[in-house]
Amino acid sequence: MSSKKKNNVPHSTKPLGTRIYNNRWFYLMFLPVLVFILLFNYLPMLGVRYAFYDYKAVMANGPEFVGLKHFTNLLQKDAFKDAFFNTLELSTIKLLLNTFMAVVLSLLLNEMKNLHVKKAVQTLIYLPHFMSWVVVASVFHLILSPSNDGLVNAILVNAGIIEKGSEIYFLGSKSWWVPIYYIINIWKDTGWGTILYLATLSGISPDLYEAAQIDGANRWNQMRFITLPALYNTIITVLILNLAKIMNLFESVFVLYNTAVIEVSDVVQTYIYRQTFGIGNPNFGYTTAVGLFNSLVGCVLVLFCNYASKKVRGRGIV
Amino acid sequence: MANTQSKKKKKIKAFPIINGIIMFVVCLFILVPLWKVFVDSLDLKTGYGMKLWPQDFSLVGYKVILTTEALYRPFLISCLVTVVGTLFGLTLSTLGAYVLIQWDMPGRNLFSYMLLFTMIFHGGMIPTYLVMKDLKLINTLWAVILPLSINVYNLVLMRNFFEGIPGALFEAAAIDGCSPMRIFWSIVLPLSKAALASIGLMFGVTFWNDYTNAKLYIQKQNLYNFQQKLRVLIMDGDMPSTAESVSQNTMFNAAVMVAIIPFMIIYPFCQKYFVKGVNIGGVKE
Repeated sequence: MSSKKKNNVPHSTKPLGTRIYNNRWFYLMFLPVLVFILLFNYLPMLGVRYAFYDYKAVMANGPEFVGLKHFTNLLQKDAFKDAFFNTLELSTIKLLLNTFMAVVLSLLLNEMKNLHVKKAVQTLIYLPHFMSWVVVASVFHLILSPSNDGLVNAILVNAGIIEKGSEIYFLGSKSWWVPIYYIINIWKDTGWGTILYLATLSGISPDLYEAAQIDGANRWNQMRFITLPALYNTIITVLILNLAKIMNLFESVFVLYNTAVIEVSDVVQTYIYRQTFGIGNPNFGYTTAVGLFNSLVGCVLVLFCNYASKKVRGRGIV
Repeated sequence: MANTQSKKKKKIKAFPIINGIIMFVVCLFILVPLWKVFVDSLDLKTGYGMKLWPQDFSLVGYKVILTTEALYRPFLISCLVTVVGTLFGLTLSTLGAYVLIQWDMPGRNLFSYMLLFTMIFHGGMIPTYLVMKDLKLINTLWAVILPLSINVYNLVLMRNFFEGIPGALFEAAAIDGCSPMRIFWSIVLPLSKAALASIGLMFGVTFWNDYTNAKLYIQKQNLYNFQQKLRVLIMDGDMPSTAESVSQNTMFNAAVMVAIIPFMIIYPFCQKYFVKGVNIGGVKE
């Protein structure tokens, strides 16, 4: 902030032309960035106009204006409604579960006194975050498989919980898919989620705990009156940052779902994908409209979260 | 007094044990799926259940991947895309970040808002696909390199790092007659090695792990990256023919291992840079 003032004062009195000339190299340096965001961010925004057109991959006379037809259409489709509510449900519950587990895990990690063990545990639990969704899906596809090699079914059979021959097809069963999806997400991201909480916890002054001990507070009271209030801001920050992204759900579902469980697992983005690339001669207009609807909901969420973030922690997220 | 003291001691003893047990279970939960894949990738006998170590040890699964063209080609493509993409990504984010700290530059605010607006609103999957089609990028590797190279979030992180460089350094260099390009190259970049490492690693992981863009923009089999190949291998059982006698299961597990091994090699050395990136982004100031 101070450098801003220092630099601003002497230059701002000069005429605009001189200031532009003085900064000519900076404009040149910004040019590549500008080209990239224009091509890959702003050009697609222009493409949003197709939401109001019939635009098929194969059609005789180019895109045809149809007004709000696609929007009235999509709001009547059950498949879209399912996808929309699935997106909200899967994203929100995933976010809450991941946050809760990460907070608990970081509290426990923070209590570990042996720093070498702590470091080793951290190294291990951060690891799954860096694996691609394809790898994670492959790993779980293999261990949850109903065939001979599936680890989970093998354990269940050996423990006598299920009969050999009646193995459960976890990723292909409507009742199992959703909980398995949450578990896989916890496996992948809980460890990584602890980083911010651990940073906050290490910033709490030890004096506070000493003072509390002298006042006779036990471990539980120390946690309730010192640790949790200190974490409160970080938890809210994480929730707000992630709430802004809940409509973006795609890859994690895309690699884990299949036709048997589409009812419970289809989200808006996978619905768009199938309506575009899964059928012959798709109507890009319709799928753009679905995408636009999704983006607008996402946009409202981001702006709301930005507002909430400014209220809670004094600065926005964008 | 003596009573409370002994009570306290007892409590302190009990908690670390429970905590240790919980941590052990957490580690098992993370490790077991990975260990299973690791063991099965080295075992010729397809195993039912969990083994601690391969029964019939063999590296033939890995050998098949490294010698079958249909499998090592996607691996090399992933390597190429990761290296080129990371360089592009770092170039764009450092240039953009450096321009955004020029407070007296007319138009700086406009540029900043243009970047930030992309975080609020996005055209969506299909309009982006149509743009890529119009730009004739479909079925070229540029389609998986270019769109991911511009990452506004990483650019803003980089700017936060640059803001920490004392302004007096820039002024002194300018007085000595350094051009902005020279200041960028000889002062800003050398002072931001940690930031370059953090953000470079983030780009590297993004490019290596990219599946969505590859799936959308690449249909030609010979341009598949390793994630795409792994996906068709495991989901469709699309096994390339090979001279080696190796079970399908061993191959699958070896392919999963090959997808994570490059990262596992650098991870222990770079963990602190990853953690640093998150903390700068999340709890600035």
